[in-house]
Amino acid sequence: MAIRFEDVNEGLRRIVLSGRLDTAGSEQIAPQFAELTESAKGGVVVYLSAVRFLSSMAIGVLVTGAKAVQARGGRMVLHVAENEVIIRTLEATGINELIPTFQDALDAEKALLK
Amino acid sequence: MSPPAVQPPAALTIRADMWDARRASGWLESAALAQNVPLEQVVRLDHCLDEALANVIRHGGPAALSSPVHLQFSVRRGPGACTAELSVSDAGVAFDPSTFVAAAPHPASLVDATPGGLGLPLIRNFSDELSYRHSQGRNHLTITVSWVEEA
Repeated sequence: MAIRFEDVNEGLRRIVLSGRLDTAGSEQIAPQFAELTESAKGGVVVYLSAVRFLSSMAIGVLVTGAKAVQARGGRMVLHVAENEVIIRTLEATGINELIPTFQDALDAEKALLK
Repeated sequence: MSPPAVQPPAALTIRADMWDARRASGWLESAALAQNVPLEQVVRLDHCLDEALANVIRHGGPAALSSPVHLQFSVRRGPGACTAELSVSDAGVAFDPSTFVAAAPHPASLVDATPGGLGLPLIRNFSDELSYRHSQGRNHLTITVSWVEEA
């Protein structure tokens, strides 16, 4: 699994996750993900399209990050593209109803401007 | 009518830790694909396995962490449907995931959300059947997925 980020501007940070976010993988990325969400100055888009496995531990990492962004007045959204396994996992846990989820990357970033 | 074809089970013993859980995932994928289980079903079982082992590691207590976890995988092919069964046996605190009822429904907002408690909903969602028994000091959880195979 891998994590990388890009600050598009003051108001938008992209965090790209990829690979297998099983329990072990989630623990590995959790500290950096937390740092990236806590230090973001505006909105955050988390790209999950290249994630092939999303565990409950990984969802917990996402929820913690989204709460950190929200606590500073920002918003975090998810981009899932056509990744059916990830969509099913998010729907099964109801997280897609708490963290806005988009199949189109442009829609995800536009949502942060509203 | 001929009886269902049952292929010999595959078995693996691991330690109750995250890294052996990942090793178990590789074993499961190899065993399932070798028996021509469709990839979609392998993915479902893989999620269930990761969550089941995470529960053992997080909530099973000292006995779970100091004892081996036994895994068994088998496939049954019948004329109408196929099933794959994954059994997880651990020595942790007795716990029946098949009857466990979540304490609270999905939170209404992100403010109310907590990062835990999602493993069992995922196991339920990705499996078709769960069965559980406790014997000789061990939990025995069997996770089943089913599919129809084209003729």
